[in-house]
Amino acid sequence: MVGIPVTHTLIPTKHKKMISGRSNGSLRLMQLCSPMLPVGAYAYSQGLEFAVSSGWVNDDRSTSLWVEGLLENSLTYLDVPLLSRLHKAWSTGDNESVLYWNDFLYASRDSRELREEEKQLAHALARLLDDLGVPGAVEWRGNSQACFLTLFSLGASYWKIPVEEASWGYLWMWAENQVLAAIKLVPLGQTMGQKILSSVIEIIPERVATGLSLRDEEVGYTAPGQGIASALHETQYTRLFRS
Amino acid sequence: MLTARLKENILDAEWRARLDLKFSKSNNRTILSHRKHYGPLQVQKPFYPELNGACHVYILHPPGGVVGGDRLNICVDVNSKAHALITTPAAGKFYRSAGSVARQEQIIKVAPKGTLEWFPSENIIFSGARAQIQTKIELSHDSNFMGWEISCLGRPASDEYFSKGELDQRFEVWRDGRPLRFERLWLKGDNPILKEKWGLQGFPVVGSMVCVNDKTGLVDSLREISFSSNDQEIFSATQTDGIIICSFLGKSVNRARSYFIDAWKILRQQVIGREAVEPRIWKT
Repeated sequence: MVGIPVTHTLIPTKHKKMISGRSNGSLRLMQLCSPMLPVGAYAYSQGLEFAVSSGWVNDDRSTSLWVEGLLENSLTYLDVPLLSRLHKAWSTGDNESVLYWNDFLYASRDSRELREEEKQLAHALARLLDDLGVPGAVEWRGNSQACFLTLFSLGASYWKIPVEEASWGYLWMWAENQVLAAIKLVPLGQTMGQKILSSVIEIIPERVATGLSLRDEEVGYTAPGQGIASALHETQYTRLFRS
Repeated sequence: MLTARLKENILDAEWRARLDLKFSKSNNRTILSHRKHYGPLQVQKPFYPELNGACHVYILHPPGGVVGGDRLNICVDVNSKAHALITTPAAGKFYRSAGSVARQEQIIKVAPKGTLEWFPSENIIFSGARAQIQTKIELSHDSNFMGWEISCLGRPASDEYFSKGELDQRFEVWRDGRPLRFERLWLKGDNPILKEKWGLQGFPVVGSMVCVNDKTGLVDSLREISFSSNDQEIFSATQTDGIIICSFLGKSVNRARSYFIDAWKILRQQVIGREAVEPRIWKT
């Protein structure tokens, strides 16, 4: 992460009113999505390191296909609809649903590595939210099947960040992290990284709209190549990223 | 608006089949203590090729394939201390549909200390098929389960690729009422998942196998498995939260099977403490 300039372009004009008004939700969203958030997301590549070492991802085009393909499919049909369900459950104090959707996501993670990442990030964010005085976070510090998204949704709900913007932020944060990994691994230049992120920005609003419109029976997605890549990364001989 | 009765009649016009099986421990062997079938789903008389009395059962679907509108339901209950192995002699074929969805639903329950090995033949999803295949495994903390699901998209041997149609295939494992593993292969004939590296990479055969057990270190010996293939096929094994997951992506159903059978032989020895005995039908 060090030395890599990051520009947030998250807040479209139509939401500027909210900032000048009483809500500081958009600023809270920036805080939650900042690479400075001390949860350690940068340490994981979610299968991308294996994909690069096998030559599946080897230039800007194949990086785009990997990042945008996962975002347009896996994250749209799994993470986004779960974010909205978790956000609603936290907002209404429905702890049973929080647990159910957390478990749903955790069970959808295909490898030990992907599950370890969820847990590490979730525990770190639970600790942070608790330190920032967010009620409900402390119980998740030791939960053995906690997902990062569950705690992210808690923050979003507590700080009254609307679910649509929270979803934009979550997808942005995910894509930024993947592109950062690609810059190191492929490697790609900084400008190329920004070009990929620019095209990601173009697809996020429509994908969030799709993800938020899904019925319960439409939620769930497996990306077999990514799952296999993350499982094989567990035994990869040399690694920059954690397993 | 349709009345419930009328809806039921319309559904009956489609080809429905249902099979309920229950396995129980009786003296030194496992018996098929209950079987009920409706429509063309059947079981043969159980086999006992093992010394420990494990019950091997073959599920048959004589029509051989399903078309749009068909509904197949299979319910399996394994009682405490019973040990069953289920396989199907023939591939499940999902034919091209004129519009309706073909549905197959399998609900499997294994009681505490029960053991089920669930090794069906592959499903072949013809190009243009519309298929919904759902398998739900409900376990308790000390039940044993091993099972796989192998799917072949299109018929690569006849150069038929899955270029249109729709598949929604879910495989869920629950333990003590909590989700342990959710898998959902959800695609249409023009979807990028078919070709992209994060998806199926252009391979027609996708398989996954799970083994539910809390012993640690089981995955290490699975990682020793190798097989010869010059088709860039890939397979992996991972272990987490009491479940071992093996995955396969490739061109050949037989290679998927042989990888999973190798994994099964290793796991059975370590988890059940007995050598794997292949169902006779696999050898024919």
